[in-house]
Amino acid sequence: MATTAIPTETTPRTAAWPRALMAIGRVALGLIFLYAAYAKFHFNGGWHFGDYQFFFAMAIDSYNMLPLNAVVLLARFLPILEAVLGALLVSGLGLRWAASITSALLLVFIGAMTRALILHIQIKCGCFGNDEPLTIWTLLRDSSLLVLALAVTIGAFLLKKRQGTVSS
Amino acid sequence: MKSLAVRHIAFLTLAAVSVAVPAAFAKQQAKPAAPAAAKSSTAPANPNFVKAIGNPSAPITMEVFGDFQCPACRGFFETSVKQVIDDYVIPGKVYLVHRDFPLDMHPYARQAARLANAAAEYGKFEAMERALYDHQDDWSAKGNIEEVMAAYFPASEFKKFQTFQSHHMSEINASIERDRAMGNQRNVNQTPTVYITARGKTEALPGGGVDYKLLKSYFDYLLRQ
Repeated sequence: MATTAIPTETTPRTAAWPRALMAIGRVALGLIFLYAAYAKFHFNGGWHFGDYQFFFAMAIDSYNMLPLNAVVLLARFLPILEAVLGALLVSGLGLRWAASITSALLLVFIGAMTRALILHIQIKCGCFGNDEPLTIWTLLRDSSLLVLALAVTIGAFLLKKRQGTVSS
Repeated sequence: MKSLAVRHIAFLTLAAVSVAVPAAFAKQQAKPAAPAAAKSSTAPANPNFVKAIGNPSAPITMEVFGDFQCPACRGFFETSVKQVIDDYVIPGKVYLVHRDFPLDMHPYARQAARLANAAAEYGKFEAMERALYDHQDDWSAKGNIEEVMAAYFPASEFKKFQTFQSHHMSEINASIERDRAMGNQRNVNQTPTVYITARGKTEALPGGGVDYKLLKSYFDYLLRQ
């Protein structure tokens, strides 16, 4: 006969609020990433599915960090990756992977921005389209996104662990 | 009697006609010619001071809002624009237009722009642009633009630029301000800022100049459409 786990004094009670907070966090992060992807495909008043990679490559290249081949490759695939990550975060599918990759990506972005600011390179951020200048406020904003992403990542792993504990 | 009267009338008529016709003709010749331009009798032939290189009918137009004293503009010119001129402008694929956008932080930028505008009047904009950027270091510290630039043009030609500049200062300044107003309307906030127009659509490139290879790939994509 199957038994169901009954919460007792020795088994942890799964509260609702952490899950609710996680859902809010991952959906917010996901929507931001979806918007970032959208801004790279839709700018100057129109869609640029055929030539978005040229403009994004010019924005990436302005950081003066990568060889041209890497710039071109990144420009082509990063907006697509952002869209996929955004969708996964919003839907909650593959959350640990999506949140981990999002955190790693944000860490790389912040590193690049910090370097550009230290070197006083006057460029556009390239985060949400071509028009946003890179400033200390851009850095602070993306840093807060990193904190959110890390919280979602840690929360995703903890929740998975808790699910594993309850079901075992 | 009758024939005498007729002869008198004929004579008077002939006299009247021979006086009236030359008088009318003389009056027409003495009428002053209508002025060619309302501004001045030596109005510039290129009143909009178009500073452009290449064929206006080229499929792609590249507008560069630039400041001749800006180091980033010089870098963009030396590493990208020169190659664009060789590979795309001369073959008639790109029409390159310079728009003056002198920044307030560069005290000699306007002076350089005025000289470039004067050179454009004589079809020498490209040569002046090259000279200004190639030798930016020589003039940007002290502002001795004319002294430096004079070495790169024949004396008679440079004298024409200087004379034109002094006689048309207000028109040249107005042209620079028109370009600046256009840039402000498009929210240009740094130099160089580049706009590409092709197939009726104008796109703003990320500001600060673009690597030539990326520009090339974008031009090749546009030309394939």
